[in-house]
Amino acid sequence: MTKEELTTTFEEIKGSLKSYILRVTASIQDAEDIVQDTYVKALEKIDTFRGDSSLKTWIFAISFNLAKDNLRVKKRWTENVTDICKEAAMSNRPFFQKAMEIRTTSPQGQFEIKEHIAFCFTCVSKSLPLEQHVCLLLKEVYEFKVKEIARITEISEAMVKYYLHTGRSKMVDVFQGRCALIHKEGVCHQCTELNGIFNPQQKAEEELVKIEMARKAESADKEHLFDLRMNIVKGIDPFESDAAELQLHHLEHNREVMEKYLEKNKD
Amino acid sequence: MKNGITLLMIMATITTLTAQNGRATTIKKTFNRSTSIGITIKADPAIVWTLLTNASDYSRWNSTIISLEGDIALGEKIHLKSTLDPKRTFKIKVKEFTPEEHMVWGDSKGNRVFTLTQNSDDTVNFHMSEKMGGLMFPLYAKYIPPFDEAFEQFAADLKREAEAIMTTK
Repeated sequence: MTKEELTTTFEEIKGSLKSYILRVTASIQDAEDIVQDTYVKALEKIDTFRGDSSLKTWIFAISFNLAKDNLRVKKRWTENVTDICKEAAMSNRPFFQKAMEIRTTSPQGQFEIKEHIAFCFTCVSKSLPLEQHVCLLLKEVYEFKVKEIARITEISEAMVKYYLHTGRSKMVDVFQGRCALIHKEGVCHQCTELNGIFNPQQKAEEELVKIEMARKAESADKEHLFDLRMNIVKGIDPFESDAAELQLHHLEHNREVMEKYLEKNKD
Repeated sequence: MKNGITLLMIMATITTLTAQNGRATTIKKTFNRSTSIGITIKADPAIVWTLLTNASDYSRWNSTIISLEGDIALGEKIHLKSTLDPKRTFKIKVKEFTPEEHMVWGDSKGNRVFTLTQNSDDTVNFHMSEKMGGLMFPLYAKYIPPFDEAFEQFAADLKREAEAIMTTK
């Protein structure tokens, strides 16, 4: 393995690595720092790469090692994160002003419901225990196999399966209970509410028909609906999408709110 | 003599096989009552053990548990609400704890023992028993509901969940 080969592969996977770290930390700055540190560490350790996993898996393992001690990675949010952050946002005028400015001036300031669905998953999945969160992301969003996840996380394959199963079960139930897009009794309508604010000319119903998960809400079972949700998340790069700047602004807001909330409620 | 030993070995084997069939058995005596169940699970013992020791996850997979609060670790106290007596919260202590092998919960009236034994064919034998008793036992014995059905459901739920986890690709 040469430094050039490593650099080439790193550049190819950098986007997915960065979005993965963002989803784990919920911090733009931490995601950028950890990705940079991963590259430096990989260069230092290049002689230890034996080829018994793919280079991508090896790089993700280095990244996981760097990320797991990060305080923001360790912090676990709550299932009702969107309720808590919504309440905080309602009384935060500068947050909305900045969001509106991004919406009107930035090429990455569009608001799309499916982008918000992906954003919502980033926030809600941070309520899972860390092992479940990481395994679920690596499998469902970044499409690693159980064996590869075991290598990345240094968790046995059996326990990776346990974390995947329990993490997925919990997320299926949380979204089934909360998300009004898939369940009539769902308490969270945030994606359509925000669509009304950022796209006042649009009709939410017309937008929802474009989203398979919403279309199949009544006919598909909750497992399949979760698969469809994962397809949406998979298809969105939070740093490169047309809504990236707006959603990242929102994510930073939510992280700050949750950090204060967790500090206040730590006992 | 030799025939006698052979017969004992056959009986022991039958007992072992019967104990792993997912059917509960109860032995009632004047001063105590014990219920036990065994079932063979095709799963890694680490998975079965984690299911048995993750308190907050119990009510998701185990239909006999309404809630289980606390940390299932040696010396810790846990608060259990079971479908056997939904209005009551049992305050029990984790008395013995050997990871992936053996665990005992209990209070002054009785103990529940969980045992895992790994087999050579990638299966694990799960065994659970509860013995209640004491000098005062005859006075309150009639108020304690039978455990058999709940034990069978517990074992079936554990098997179903652990084997489902093993099929994760």
